[in-house]
Amino acid sequence: MRSASIGRMLSVARQGLQLGIEYGPHSVEALLWIAETVEESVYRVGSLRGDGQGIRFTLGNPPLRSGAFSAVRLLWNGVPVDPAAVQLCPGGSASWRTAASLSPGDPIELHTGEPIEVAAAVGLAPVGASVDLRLELECPAIPPLVWIEFRDTVRRG
Amino acid sequence: MPPPLLLRSLSAAVLTDPAGDLSLPRECRGAVEEWGGVYAQLIRLTGRWRIFLWDGEHQSRLSDGFVSGRQVGDRWRTEHRIGRLAVHQEIAPTDRPSGAIRRLRFALSEGPPVSLVVHSSFRPYLLPTLVEGVRPVSFRAETSSAGLDVRQRGFGLAVRSSIGPSHLYLDRGSWLGGHRSGPLERVGADYELRLTAGLPVDLRLAIAGGLERDLARSADDIAALLADPEPRLASAEAAEARWLAGTPTMRFPDAPELERAYEAARASLRRLYSAPGDSMTGLVAGYPWYSAIWCRDLAWMLPAVLWLGDFDWAAQSLATVFRFQSRSSIPLLGGEPGELPMQISPGPIFFYGTSDTTLYFPGIVEQWVRHTGDTGATLPWRPVLAAVVAWGLARTDLATGLLRNGGEAEAISAATGAISRIRYGIDSPDTTIWDSTDRRDHAIDVQVLWWSALRSALELHAIDDDPTVRARLPGVVARLAETIRTAYDWPEERYLADSLRAAVPVRKLRPNALRAVSAGLVSPERARALARRVAEEDLSTPWGVRTLSTKDPTYRPDAYHDGQVWPVATAWAADAAFAAGDGELGAEFLGRIAARFAAESGQANECYRGDRAEAFDSCFLLGLSVGPFVSLLFERLWGLRPDARARCLDVRPCFPAGWRSAALDGVRLGPGRVSLRWAAPVVTVGWSGPGDLTVRVGGRVSPLAPGASVAVSLDGGSRAG
Repeated sequence: MRSASIGRMLSVARQGLQLGIEYGPHSVEALLWIAETVEESVYRVGSLRGDGQGIRFTLGNPPLRSGAFSAVRLLWNGVPVDPAAVQLCPGGSASWRTAASLSPGDPIELHTGEPIEVAAAVGLAPVGASVDLRLELECPAIPPLVWIEFRDTVRRG
Repeated sequence: MPPPLLLRSLSAAVLTDPAGDLSLPRECRGAVEEWGGVYAQLIRLTGRWRIFLWDGEHQSRLSDGFVSGRQVGDRWRTEHRIGRLAVHQEIAPTDRPSGAIRRLRFALSEGPPVSLVVHSSFRPYLLPTLVEGVRPVSFRAETSSAGLDVRQRGFGLAVRSSIGPSHLYLDRGSWLGGHRSGPLERVGADYELRLTAGLPVDLRLAIAGGLERDLARSADDIAALLADPEPRLASAEAAEARWLAGTPTMRFPDAPELERAYEAARASLRRLYSAPGDSMTGLVAGYPWYSAIWCRDLAWMLPAVLWLGDFDWAAQSLATVFRFQSRSSIPLLGGEPGELPMQISPGPIFFYGTSDTTLYFPGIVEQWVRHTGDTGATLPWRPVLAAVVAWGLARTDLATGLLRNGGEAEAISAATGAISRIRYGIDSPDTTIWDSTDRRDHAIDVQVLWWSALRSALELHAIDDDPTVRARLPGVVARLAETIRTAYDWPEERYLADSLRAAVPVRKLRPNALRAVSAGLVSPERARALARRVAEEDLSTPWGVRTLSTKDPTYRPDAYHDGQVWPVATAWAADAAFAAGDGELGAEFLGRIAARFAAESGQANECYRGDRAEAFDSCFLLGLSVGPFVSLLFERLWGLRPDARARCLDVRPCFPAGWRSAALDGVRLGPGRVSLRWAAPVVTVGWSGPGDLTVRVGGRVSPLAPGASVAVSLDGGSRAG
């Protein structure tokens, strides 16, 4: 496993070096600008908090696509969370909506640059535990699923 | 929602509504987003940029006092009245520096003097438009003696004014200046003016930027712009006028709407021209959210650029695309050796990972040679085209000739996996022109494209350095043609299947199959039947052709590529109809596209709902909607096929039966220009020279000396002039 990770890192380094040789150092630099911006602008690292009821985290932007979303799914350590237990509160809105309430006729609008609070009643989330989360969103206007996956440590909420 | 206004220069754009503040709410992916602001070097510098006025008693938005507006070239001039205050504004995009300038003139009509505070406020963005849906969360704001700069990694903008600001604001808080890093929603500045009746006061505001390294070199340009913008703006307008004067003129007395549509499409194509920096040349795909150079879209526009006579721009665009051909395997960017990029933006920033983009370009190069006659210029491109062929062969079943599409985006996702603790993705299994839907494994239009690419590569001698591959290719071409003719047959629908999967036809009724008709790959009888099938109401609407038949169980009128109407699909239907010899049907489809241009005041939406003529999830201007339309007017309606290498022009017009006349002037061919007149049934072709031109019309071959013309009756007989 570790050698596989090292292998992937070396592959990335090789590709970066190759880009720089073939297209100049600005190409690597510019790619990093994009990657770093996207990485810091969507999931707010450290925002994952847990209490006895569940977890909560913040997105700084919708993941890769704004628009009207008819379905949202959350997976907690690979296990789907009941949509009735997942809630979203887009920035600029005071109201929470459950994922179960979403449909093509009644989507939730997520806008560029507006933070989104996501909460899930997953029960006790041990503080200090490292968890994997995956959020999937469907936009009827453009079918392919957009998703974000991250690993973070649960902080006291 | 108010109609969109696009003001653009070669490296910048301003998106606004007519009311005079840079705001443009627009439906996108089913929700309304704010797209107004300043764009430079294909980077969105700002969001909404608004002006507020405070006279000590009342605060007003500039847009609240809007009286009138008019567009003069790429300037938007507005008049506002708020009480005794009259404001004249002019907004314009600029190159050198890349950005925008707002000139405001404040005048009091009467009464005592007024102390006016002009508050300017904008939302910084600073991210290339090719990154969809994300606004950065952290910026660095910094003041200097020159003014205020905002930066986000390698991107930056400068705010400059002709009158120094009296106050600065970051978000809602007053700011003394210096530098500050962190989240930033608003950047504001106050400018204090003393107004006396009869003595107008001017204020000029500029926002410029893009790549920070280019911004750093722009200080003198920004200062010159603020001091007097007029020379730069006038120079840009003169360049636009010269470009227009160099393009052909078309007259259709029997179809003035088509004539107006040509003029609108020509103007729209020009508005997509882009020289954003980093030595890049091209056309952006569309506005607002596709304002980067998408090479697939560029490939659909370059034939029109050639017909409009701009050979240099086409050549520079090709050189730009080829510069970023992948020379090795770069999984992080989805690139394989020989692949041409999906998107390009200054940085440089580029990505790969489509199944079709690479395949367009051998044909574009061949067309460039036919229009210019300059085979020497293409010598550096032969290795590029040879690499394109190698890329295609690597994913081709040599027994059938079929090229496999799909999996490109998945490859990027897999490559980026597990190197970051945050991963994102779009589960797009396939990346053909309808890239939101799965058309694996062998989409028919991709096969036609591959077939055309191979033929062009052979014609251009691009593979001559590899005799083994060169010898193999004709066989691949022949087998592929036979496979397209036979394997996609769908007799129950009198049509062709959209794709093959595990050798089984995928029975989805899409207009994409018509590309086989346009390429001449089916018999004439079959061609007519296929062209007529698309005209039936499950695919065809009065506002254009759907991406998928209403009979398909997955059809939805609001599904991007599974039901919506796209003008490019309507263009395919027109092309196929003409190719099948059905000029009436072809002109009918062209008329539907023209009607959309007229309904949208000359702009050309990307797509419409499948159940009504309403733009949905649509850029208000898309190159795919104008480029093919322009090309069809020349290639099908006028029936022109140039070959400048051989100094030859084929003319096979296909005008509707009810038409009596048409005229076309200034078509560039090699070193000279051609003019045509049609007064049924006689076509008259004139040639400017230099050198002779051979014209083939109505079965007759006529040599033309410089300055000569020939009149040929399509019913027989000719007359030299």
